[in-house]
Amino acid sequence: MNDHPHSPDGMPDPGLPPETPMDAGSQALAEALRSSFAIVKVVMVLLVLLFLASGFFTVGPQERAIILRFGRAQGEGEKALLLPGLHWSFPYPIDESIRVSISGLQQVRSSVGWYAVTPEQELSGAEPPAGATLNPIAEGYALTGDANIIHTKATLTYRIKDPVRYVFSFVNASNAVQNALDNALLRAASRFRVDDVLTRDIAGFQEVVRRQVTQSAERQDLGILVEQCAVQSVPPRQLKDAFANVLKAEVMRSKVLNEARGSENQVTNKASADAESRINLAQSDRARLVSDVGAQAERFQEILPQYQDHPALFVQQRLTETLGRVLTNVQDKIFLSDSANGKPKELRLLLNREVPKPVTEEKKP
Amino acid sequence: MKRNPLTLIIALLLILIFGFLLFSFQVRTTDVAVVTTFGSPTRPITEPGLYVKAPWPIQKVWTFDRRVQNFEDRLTEGLTSDSFNLLTSVYVGWRVSDPTAFFPRFAGSANPISAAETLLDQWLGNAKTAVVGKHPLSDFVSTSDNGAAFVAIEKEILEGIQSQIRTNNLGLQVEFLGIKRLQLPESVSQSVFDRMTSERKVLADRFQYEGEAEAQRIRSDAERKAAELLANAESQATRIKGIGEAEAAKSLAVFQRNPDLASFIFRLNALESSLKERSVLIFDQQTPPFDLFRGASTNLLKK
Repeated sequence: MNDHPHSPDGMPDPGLPPETPMDAGSQALAEALRSSFAIVKVVMVLLVLLFLASGFFTVGPQERAIILRFGRAQGEGEKALLLPGLHWSFPYPIDESIRVSISGLQQVRSSVGWYAVTPEQELSGAEPPAGATLNPIAEGYALTGDANIIHTKATLTYRIKDPVRYVFSFVNASNAVQNALDNALLRAASRFRVDDVLTRDIAGFQEVVRRQVTQSAERQDLGILVEQCAVQSVPPRQLKDAFANVLKAEVMRSKVLNEARGSENQVTNKASADAESRINLAQSDRARLVSDVGAQAERFQEILPQYQDHPALFVQQRLTETLGRVLTNVQDKIFLSDSANGKPKELRLLLNREVPKPVTEEKKP
Repeated sequence: MKRNPLTLIIALLLILIFGFLLFSFQVRTTDVAVVTTFGSPTRPITEPGLYVKAPWPIQKVWTFDRRVQNFEDRLTEGLTSDSFNLLTSVYVGWRVSDPTAFFPRFAGSANPISAAETLLDQWLGNAKTAVVGKHPLSDFVSTSDNGAAFVAIEKEILEGIQSQIRTNNLGLQVEFLGIKRLQLPESVSQSVFDRMTSERKVLADRFQYEGEAEAQRIRSDAERKAAELLANAESQATRIKGIGEAEAAKSLAVFQRNPDLASFIFRLNALESSLKERSVLIFDQQTPPFDLFRGASTNLLKK
């Protein structure tokens, strides 16, 4: 830099008068300095601009952002959340923008009640070999209300309802959710019967787990919304056959019962059909009897005057007429003439079952 | 040349920034802090924001995470009041609530949070043993009380650990606690399995016998019902017939006008209907009209 024109000592150097123009070298230096200073100025302005521009940030469609000014969240509750779009804040260290994913569904699994499996076994669905006992350190299980051991695991699907709480209040919120799920599973199992958990009331058990994890999440203010809870339970590997036998017996029982009910239906249906036809028969018998007798009575009334007019002749006529009718209907007629001595003849019949036609043989006594 | 104003501004800015860094500090919303003056805690800061302090080495700021920490303790064995060995493990959500109290206890260690958790683990073990010893096994697992006793146990452990923390003034707070594992010692699991196996056996047998007995009952019930139905029908049929006969009897009065003729007609009808089909008749000459063969006709002709 150039010296000030008025030096504090006031005594100009006699060798170098101040007005004397600089030599070529220092002039070039000054020139260079001046131009580099200009560049520095531009660079500094650019840096400041860049610094300010670094405060721009975008919030994605499945995100919300929160600005912390000197570490304190700007705004309260819902208002603190910046919606998707382009935003600007002062750069660090004044402001700090934190983006929070509220995207779709988060998931945690509880395996605290499940036996120990390696990831490969889990993928292939294979079970590790079962020992005679369960090591409580390695193998997880739950105790049911009737003090049975079962394995049970759950998958919880949830949504972040309060991102501020979820992110700023917990070191590891999903871990807290998982703990709540573990606890809910254990508590639910401890009040259910083993058969209810495994077969009879699977949905009820699942519902209780879901309700309890929802309650825990509310009580602990985890800022989540429980969407879905899927629970899977199995008996201990050591007792697989014993449990399968019970199931088999149960299936067998319902089969036997169904068969019995089927035959019950059959028997009662047949009986009621028989009863119905019995009654119908009686009804028609009754109708026939009444109408027969009625008709006969009517006819009797008609013929009575005729009879009274000529009783003997009437009887004779009726008898002969009837005999004539009867004889035309009769299949075989055999006439025996009187024997010469006036004694009755002996007649022997050989009846064949198959051929209803009788074979007669006459013998003279 | 005169002094460049930009240079002045930049110099001022630099000094400002330097002073800012030296005399102020920020506390984030996720943290709490304590300011120490010559090593002793003088000012706790629990609200986030920008704060002023004297420069180092006079004052120093210590910050701690204020968020809820998840901690799960070891599986420890306890004896229930009815002498069952029970292994329990709990999880707690705890956080630093009072940095002034927390600082002197844990600031010396490399990781204050895990140092605090070591202490928590120890106390949780004691609290669990004490609470488990007060309850029978049926308070932990029961089908009758809807899990009320289970919740009460968790609450007792929580109260135990909270009072322990209060007495020791640790500056931390347990927000919630829950049992995470409830298991039996390995040696006991074998006897549980044995019991379960025999229970299964009993159940399977019961299903079988129940099924057979029930099926038997259903079948005999059906037989009984069928017999009843038929008997009812039979009696109803008899009744109907009786009614029919009574109705028919009304018509019989007509026949009373000439019983001889009536009986004759009835006999005629009976004769006709009995000889309707596939019958063989054998006559002799006495029977009319075959008496004609004997000569009745000739007699008539002779006349």
